[in-house]
Amino acid sequence: MRFALPPRRFMVACMAASTALLIAGSPIGASAADVAQPVHGGTLNFVVDPEPPTLVDLTNTAVPTLKVSTKVTEGLLTYDFALHPGPQLATSWSVSPDGLQYTFHLRHGVKWHDGQDFTSADVAYSIELLKRVHPRGKSTFANVTQIKTPDAFTAVLVLLKPSPFLIKAFSASESPIVPKHVYEGTDPFSNQNNNAPIGTGPFKFVKWVRGSYIEYDRNPDYWDKPKPYLDKIIVKLIPDAPARSIAFETGSVDLGGNTPVPLSDIARLKQNPKLGIETRGYEFEAGVVRVEFNLGNQYLKVPAVRQAIARAIDRNVIQKTIYYGYASVLNSPIIPESPYHDTTPTPYPFDVTKANALLDAAGLARNGDGVRFTVIVDPLPISDIPQRTAAYLRSALAKIGIAVTIRNQDLPSYLRRVYSDHDFDIAVNGMSNLFDPTVGVQRLYWTQSIRHGVPFTNASGYSNPEVDRLLEQAAVEPDEAKRKQLFGQFQQIVERDLPDINLVEQQQVTVYNKRVHNHTTSPDGLDSNFSDVYLSP
Amino acid sequence: MTSSNLKRVALRLRRTGAQAIPTVIAVVVLNFALLQLVPGDAADVLAGESGSATAETMAMMRHHFGLDLTLWQQLLTYLKHLSHFSLGFSPRFNTPVMTLIMARLPNTLILMVSALVFAIVAGIIIGVAMATWAGKWPDRVLSFLALVLYSMPGFWLALMAIVLFSVKLGWLPSGGDMTLGVNLTGWDWLVDRVSHAVLPALALASFFVAIYARLTRVAMLEVQRQDYVRTAQAKGLHPLFITVRHVLRNALLPITTVAGMHLGNLLGGAAVIETVFSWPGLGRLALEAVQGRDYNVLLGVLLLSSMLVIVANVLVDLLHAWLDPRIALH
Amino acid sequence: MSSNHSPLEQADRATVQPGANRLLRDTAAELERSGWRHQFIAVWTGRFGRFGPKPRDASPEQSETRRWPALRALARNPSVVSGAALLLALLLIALFAGRLFPGDPLDIVAQPLLAPGQDPQYWLGTDSLGRDVLAELAHGSRASLAIGVTAALIGVVIGTLVGALAGYFGGWVDDVLMRVTELFQTTPSFLFVIVIVSIGHPSMTVISLAIGVTSWPTITRLVRAEFRSLVQSDFVMAARSLGFGHARIIWREILPNALPPIIVTTSVMVATAILMESALSFLGMGDPNVVSWGSMIGDGREMLRTAWYLTALPGGALVLTVLALNLLGDGLNDALNPRLSERS
Repeated sequence: MRFALPPRRFMVACMAASTALLIAGSPIGASAADVAQPVHGGTLNFVVDPEPPTLVDLTNTAVPTLKVSTKVTEGLLTYDFALHPGPQLATSWSVSPDGLQYTFHLRHGVKWHDGQDFTSADVAYSIELLKRVHPRGKSTFANVTQIKTPDAFTAVLVLLKPSPFLIKAFSASESPIVPKHVYEGTDPFSNQNNNAPIGTGPFKFVKWVRGSYIEYDRNPDYWDKPKPYLDKIIVKLIPDAPARSIAFETGSVDLGGNTPVPLSDIARLKQNPKLGIETRGYEFEAGVVRVEFNLGNQYLKVPAVRQAIARAIDRNVIQKTIYYGYASVLNSPIIPESPYHDTTPTPYPFDVTKANALLDAAGLARNGDGVRFTVIVDPLPISDIPQRTAAYLRSALAKIGIAVTIRNQDLPSYLRRVYSDHDFDIAVNGMSNLFDPTVGVQRLYWTQSIRHGVPFTNASGYSNPEVDRLLEQAAVEPDEAKRKQLFGQFQQIVERDLPDINLVEQQQVTVYNKRVHNHTTSPDGLDSNFSDVYLSP
Repeated sequence: MTSSNLKRVALRLRRTGAQAIPTVIAVVVLNFALLQLVPGDAADVLAGESGSATAETMAMMRHHFGLDLTLWQQLLTYLKHLSHFSLGFSPRFNTPVMTLIMARLPNTLILMVSALVFAIVAGIIIGVAMATWAGKWPDRVLSFLALVLYSMPGFWLALMAIVLFSVKLGWLPSGGDMTLGVNLTGWDWLVDRVSHAVLPALALASFFVAIYARLTRVAMLEVQRQDYVRTAQAKGLHPLFITVRHVLRNALLPITTVAGMHLGNLLGGAAVIETVFSWPGLGRLALEAVQGRDYNVLLGVLLLSSMLVIVANVLVDLLHAWLDPRIALH
Repeated sequence: MSSNHSPLEQADRATVQPGANRLLRDTAAELERSGWRHQFIAVWTGRFGRFGPKPRDASPEQSETRRWPALRALARNPSVVSGAALLLALLLIALFAGRLFPGDPLDIVAQPLLAPGQDPQYWLGTDSLGRDVLAELAHGSRASLAIGVTAALIGVVIGTLVGALAGYFGGWVDDVLMRVTELFQTTPSFLFVIVIVSIGHPSMTVISLAIGVTSWPTITRLVRAEFRSLVQSDFVMAARSLGFGHARIIWREILPNALPPIIVTTSVMVATAILMESALSFLGMGDPNVVSWGSMIGDGREMLRTAWYLTALPGGALVLTVLALNLLGDGLNDALNPRLSERS
C-alpha cells in the first residue's frame, strides 16, 4: 500500500487528528477520567462554605469539615465509583467468611507530619475514639468489640455480629485515622489538634486566619511519591453565594463543591469557556429531599390525608423550578445510585382531582373560604432549598384545600422543635443516605430510632414491626442479593404507608476552573485528599 | 488643657469606671436571661451541622461546654471568668472568645470609623452649603436629597452600589475585606484594603450624612445670629475665615456628641452591611453567634458594645472640653 | 455648642419662672450627655433653637388656642402636604391590594424569572419561584406599613410611659428608670430584635413586638425632658393644689402639652421600624407567610447580576414609604415650631 504522506508524517498527522478529536469530543464532565500528564507546582484556590468549625472530622462531620480534614488526615481505604475499596493507609485487607473479622495490613514507612511513625496502635486508638466521639461512630462500629494489633502493621477488628456495610466506612471522610500520641489522654473535643492538625496526608496545615482562609502546604515526605502535585492549597472562606460566582469568573477561586454558586447562576457559568460543571463525587453524601409528617397530628394520622397530599405534589415542578433541573425525581428513600434502590413507581402519582376526592371521602369538607384544615410547615433552615420547597408546598396544598403556614426559625430552634418537643406538623428536610442505607436510611423509619433529643432520627413516630424486622435483618445480612431483596420490600412498604413523602434527590454540583485536573476521582469527590490533583500550567 | 481641667478629666474617668461595673453586670444578667429563653443550644447546632449525632455524643458535648450545669451555675461561672478579664470559650469556634473578638474588632472599627469620618465630612460640607444658601433653592434641593438618602435602607443602597460599581463598572470588589491568599505589601496592600472598604463604609455612612448635614445647618444658622459673629463680620474679617474659625468650631459640638453616640450603637446596623459585603466584623460575628447559640461570643460582643458606648461618651466629653473651654466638665 | 450657654447666661439674669434656671441648665447639660437619638430628635423638634422663655409655660387655655394656628400652618407646609399625600397613596395601595391583585401573592403562577414586559399578564415579570412581582410589591406594602405602625405604637406607648413617670416623679424613680433606659440603649437594637425573634418565631406579631420593645428608649428621654419642664409650671401646681391625683395630672394636664414632639417622633419611629423590619426580612428572618419588600430584596439578591430589578423595585418602594414618613415628620416639626421655620 502506498501512503500519500511519508510514514512519519502520517503518524504525526494521525496523532494530531486523534488528539483534535479527543479535545473536540470531550464532554464537560470529562475531568473524572483524565489522569494523564500530571504537572508539579501551583497553588489551588479552593472555596468552602460555611467556615468549618474544626479542621478534623473526628467530632464533627459538617460538610465543610470533610472538605478540609481529608487533605491532612487520611483513612484506611479509598473507593472507586462502583464503591469497591482501594488502598490508602491499608495496603491489603480481608474480611473473614463469617463477617466477624476484618484484617487490615497497613502501609510501611508512613510518617505523621511531626516525624513520628504511623503504626497499628494509631489505627486501634482511632477506631476506639471514633466509636466514642464521632457523630456516627457509635452506630457504625456498634458491632466491633475489640481491635487487635498483633504487630505494628496489622490491625484486626473483631465483631460480635456481621456488619455488611462496615467495609464501606473506612474513607478518610468517614473514619479518619488520627495520631494516638497527640490525642491520648486528652479531651478530644478541646484538643488543639482539631484547629491545627497533623496527619499522614499529602498536605500539611500552615495557618488558619478565621473568617478569611486556611492555608496548606505540600508534604514533601508524603508516602505516595511523587504526589502530591500541588505546592499549596488556599481554602478561601467566602460566605456569600453570589460573591463565589464572581470569584469563579474572575479566577480568584479555582474549585468549589456542594453547589458553591446559586443554582440560578449555573447555566451562565456553564457558558464560560474557562469553567466546568461536575455532578459526580457526591455518592457518599447524596440524599433525599422529603416531606416528613408528624403522625401524631390529628389530620396527618389519617392515611387518606397523607395520600391526598402526595397526590397534590408534582415532583417535576419541584425539579424544574426549585432545583433548576439539578435534581432527580424519586419516591424512594434510597437514592437511585445505590444498588439497593427500588424502581417501583409511587402508588400515588400526581393527580389533584383524585387528591380532592380522597379528602372529600375522608369527611374533611371545605369551609366558606375553601379551606379544609390548616397545617404548619417547618423547613430545615440549612440552605434555602427546604424553604423554597415549603413555598411550593404551600401553593400546591392550597389547591386541595389545605392552608399552609410556613414557620421559619434557625437551626437549633428547628432541631428542638422537631426532635425534642415533637411540636410540628410537617417538616421539610433533606436526609443523606450516607455510605449505606443501614446507616443513613434506617434511622428514619426504625422504631428504636424514635429518640428524644437526637437530631436526624425518626421524628414522624413511624413504627411498623414488619419494617423493623426488614431493616434489622438487612443490617446484618452478608448476602448481597438477599440484602437487596430486604431493602426492596422495605421501600415498597414505606412508600405505601407514607410516614414521609420522598420528593427528589438533589444533585450537588462542583464548579471548577478547567485548569484543575483530577479533582473528582472517587465518590468522595472533593472530600478526597487531592494527592492526584494538578493544575495545567 | 489646664490643670483643673485635667483633674476634672481624671475624676470623670474614675466616676465612669465606677459606674461601668454595675452596668456591665446588668448587661450580662439581662442578656444571659434573655438568651436562656431562646430554644436550643450550641450542642444542637454542632450536631445539626454534622448531619447526625447520637445521644451519647450530644451529652458529651453538653458536658464539655458546661451546658448541662444549672442556669445559676452557668451565670456564676461566666461572671467569675469576667472578673479575670476572660470572656470564656466558644464551642462553635473552639477558641477563646477574646481571641475571636480581638481578631474581628479592628475590622469593625475600620468600617465604623471610616463610615463616621466620611459621614461627618460629607455632612459638614452639605450642611455648610445648605446654611449658606438657607431658604433658597440649593438649600431645599440638598435638604430633599439628604432626606432621600436618609430614607434608604442601608443594605439596599449597598446592593445597588454593588450592581453599579462592581458588576457593571467593575471598579470595586463586591465583598470581603481583602484579596485572599496573596501576600501584598506596602502600597499594593493599602490600595487593596481601601478598595474593599470603600463600598461598605459608604453604605454605612449614608444614613448618617443627612443627620450631620442637618445638625451643621441648624448649628451654623444658630451661631451666625450670635453677637460675636456679627462683631467679626463688622470687623471686616473674611467670611470664610469666620465660618471656619468660629461657626464651624461650635457646630462641631453637637456633631461630635451625636457621632460619639453613633459609634457606640453602630454595631447593630453594621451587622447587615457586613453580611451584604461578607465583611469579617463583629456585627456578623454576633449574628452568627445568635444562630449558633454561642452565648459566650454574643455576650462578649454585647459587653464590648456597652464598653464602646461608655468610652465614646468619655471621648466626646474630652473633645468638647477642647473645642469649647467654657464647657465645664462635670 | 455655645448657644447652649449663652441662653443659660441670659436665663441666669432674666426674670423667668422659679426653678427655670436649674431647669435650663439641667436640660442643656442633659443634651450634652444624652444619647444621639435624643440629639437627633432634639434637632427635629427644634430644641437647639428653643432656649429662653418658653411659650409653653402658658396655661392650658392658652395652649389650646395655640393649636389652631398650628393646624393651619400644617396645611400650608409643603413637606407635610407632599409627605401626607404620598403616605395616603401608599395606604390606598395597601388597602386595595387584595382587590387589585386577588389571590395569594406568594402563589406560584408562572415560569420563574420572566422579565418585565415579557408576558402581558405579568407587567413586572416573575421572581425566582415564578411569583407575580407586581402583586408582591402591592401586597408588600401591607406588611411594611402594618408592622411599622404597630411596632412604633408599642414603642411610643412604652417610651412615653417610662419617660412620663421618670420626668414627673423625679428622684429615685427617675434614677432607676433612666438606668434601665441606658441599659437598653447600650445594647445594639438590631441584635436585640434578632434575639427576641429567635425566642419566638418570625411572625408579624412577634416582629412588631420585638421592634417595639427595643425602640422605646428613643422617645423616653424626650418625654422625660418635656415632663420635667412641664411639671414645674403653674397649671400643674394649680391642679395639685386642687387635689387631683398623679394619674390624672399626667394624663389630662401634662401629656396633651407634651404631644407635639411625641407626634413628630412617632413618624420617625414608624420609619425606623419599617427599615428594621425590611432588614430582618432581608436576612431571611421575617415572616415567610407574608410578602414583605425586605424579603423580596433578600430573594432577589442571588440574581443581582442578571435580574437586578428584582432588588431595585422593592427597595424603591421602601424608599418612597420611608421618605413619605420623613417628609411628614419634617413638616410637622416645621409647622409646630415656628422659631425654626422662620429661619428657612
